[in-house]
Amino acid sequence: MNIIFKSIRVVNPEQNLDGIFDLWIKDGFIHSIATSITNEEPETRVIPGKDLVALPGFFDMHVHLREPGFEYKEDIQSGCAAAANGGFTGVCCMPNTNPVIDNVSVVELIRKKAENLPVDVKISAAITQGSQGKQLSPFYELNEAGVVMFTDDGKCVTSSEVMKRAFNYASTKKLLIAQHCEDHSLTENFSVNEGVMSSSLGLKGYPSVAEDIIVKRDILLNEYTGNNPYHISHISTKNSVKFIREAKSRGLNVTCEVTPHHFCLNEEFLSSYDTNYKMNPPLRTKEDIQEILAGLKDGTIDCIASDHAPHALHEKEVEFEKAPYGIVGLETTIGLTFTYLYHTNILTLNDIINKLSTNPRKILNLEPIIIKEGNQANLTIVDIDEEWIVDKNQFKSKSKNTPFNGFKLKGKPKYIINKNQIIESTL
Amino acid sequence: MVNETLSHPFLLQAGDLNVDDISLIFEKARFYLQKFEKDTKKLEDLKGVTVALAFFEPSTRTRLSFELAAKRLSADVFTFSSSTSSLTKGESLLDTLKTIEAMGVHMFVIRHSCSGVPNFLQQNTTGIVINAGDGKHEHPTQALLDAFTLHRYFGDIKGLNVCIVGDILHSRVARSNIVLLNTLGANLGLFSPGTLLPPKIESWNTRIFNDINDAIKWSNVVIVLRLQNERMESGLIPSVREFSKYFGVTYEIYSKKPELVLLHPGPVNYGIELEYTVSNYPNVLIQTQVTHGVYIRMALLSLLAKNLS
Repeated sequence: MNIIFKSIRVVNPEQNLDGIFDLWIKDGFIHSIATSITNEEPETRVIPGKDLVALPGFFDMHVHLREPGFEYKEDIQSGCAAAANGGFTGVCCMPNTNPVIDNVSVVELIRKKAENLPVDVKISAAITQGSQGKQLSPFYELNEAGVVMFTDDGKCVTSSEVMKRAFNYASTKKLLIAQHCEDHSLTENFSVNEGVMSSSLGLKGYPSVAEDIIVKRDILLNEYTGNNPYHISHISTKNSVKFIREAKSRGLNVTCEVTPHHFCLNEEFLSSYDTNYKMNPPLRTKEDIQEILAGLKDGTIDCIASDHAPHALHEKEVEFEKAPYGIVGLETTIGLTFTYLYHTNILTLNDIINKLSTNPRKILNLEPIIIKEGNQANLTIVDIDEEWIVDKNQFKSKSKNTPFNGFKLKGKPKYIINKNQIIESTL
Repeated sequence: MVNETLSHPFLLQAGDLNVDDISLIFEKARFYLQKFEKDTKKLEDLKGVTVALAFFEPSTRTRLSFELAAKRLSADVFTFSSSTSSLTKGESLLDTLKTIEAMGVHMFVIRHSCSGVPNFLQQNTTGIVINAGDGKHEHPTQALLDAFTLHRYFGDIKGLNVCIVGDILHSRVARSNIVLLNTLGANLGLFSPGTLLPPKIESWNTRIFNDINDAIKWSNVVIVLRLQNERMESGLIPSVREFSKYFGVTYEIYSKKPELVLLHPGPVNYGIELEYTVSNYPNVLIQTQVTHGVYIRMALLSLLAKNLS
């Protein structure tokens, strides 16, 4: 690899960097970054940097790669191809595979499969064995094998006693615990948010209070057990934002993420019973979105994560109540974030970099990315102003379950550079 | 007649119908009713039209009503029920529909235990879908026949006070009636225990009652809903006894206001939501509803068939 981006804007809030440079990347490293580079090497590929911005590689901390067990939906290779195509140089995969990621051998399998891919795959493991909510997984051993976070994602650790134990056990080594906050006793067989739409569509609802209860409970439990690092996955309700804001103001070690669909879409999109709008947590109300936007702006919400949840077409083209939850997101997250948050003046470019790169890396205890000579190149290159139309047939993901097909977006991923590879987006 | 088509070439929910659509259906139903009450035995309005009654959930009266309606207009009708189909072999709903469609079916009358199935199927077929009851969503032909019954009884529905009593949460009949009667300008009330009342229904434009006597006093019409046995098992009400004591229409209550018109979509649980002796009152129109159901479905089938080129 030998590439020069001529006159490209390079931004990284982590190093207070924002300027136009020539950026020369050679053999996976930043060879030089300067106002003007003259390069005599004939095999150098020169890419004009006009309209492009080079950013520290984006990281999606909530992705379902489905391998092992559900390779017909996605596998590590296709999931990483989707990540690269969508502008991400790193992902953290969720443990609800089959078998569940709750032992070192599954971790090693994933690491091996991801070894030569251009996208870094970090691994989360289950809090409880088999995500059954009972017996804790071997945290320490899993952590030593490279696991960066513990979560029973898709399920909530409902038992307060088990959750308290998880916090206590993790606290010895300050391990990161994440929770999918859902009081399952209130949400059995739900299809949509409980409210106007569940009433008119005649579908079982998931009341927002079922999320609020667990967010609040876990904040209290975490505080009680010694303020361990605790991350809340894909929040969707206004009260979650308020509770987390309040917890942060008291200095508690709580972080959280939101998905693009929870700030772009509300429950009213459900009127056609399109199963591509069925997800967990469900689409909420405009009021919830308002508070989520406030939380993104004031820093209550640390990250944006896609909750990339591939499902095969035949699984989604069924009765609404029988369809699985979730949508693919790796290839729409950047476009949606720039369209709905940047071009609406809700977030600055620095905010977006923090929420899609700096903060998820910090939460997961990964090395920060510094763009300087001699460092490995780990970059996401976007065109902030390019308008494009989402075409699901361009996705590299095996699954196409997206509600955003045909959406007109502004802001597009163009390249990623990582692990001595450059991938150009075909979106 | 001048313009005889409905505004949508399907009927998925009561909201698909505007006031003109409803008048058109009523007019046509009245036309058939008068003809068949005289001496007509059969008409040929649907000759050459194939109607599939796809019932993925058990039903007697709705299925029979549609079958009779289609046959009286000389349609070719076949019934398809889930217990005899390849659904039990694991075929998907969409495949089943496409298979039936490939055989040359024009109209699908769908009954299914999942909400939204008619909407889902309409998006995947060029045929005409009629919702014959989907989950807890809607049952628009029931609302049409209820409104037709009230229309014939009162002359005009506008301004009528109609109270729906019972399990609103799980009732597709209630949802369709609320939408349709709102369209026709009736005032709607609901009376139900809190656990059987859907959340956030402010936008439904209904009045909520807390006591059966207040509800009856206000109403010109009550629509009494069937209490499904499974509601009891799900723990949403403490006991059938308590439900019937506070939410049942008893002889004692009804006899105070015998001019009150009472509808019930059937089948009735006597002694639970309705006391048996009440059913003999002349203003209890349960049998009339059933009779009207056939004519309403004849009208709907023939009007929708006009969209078949």
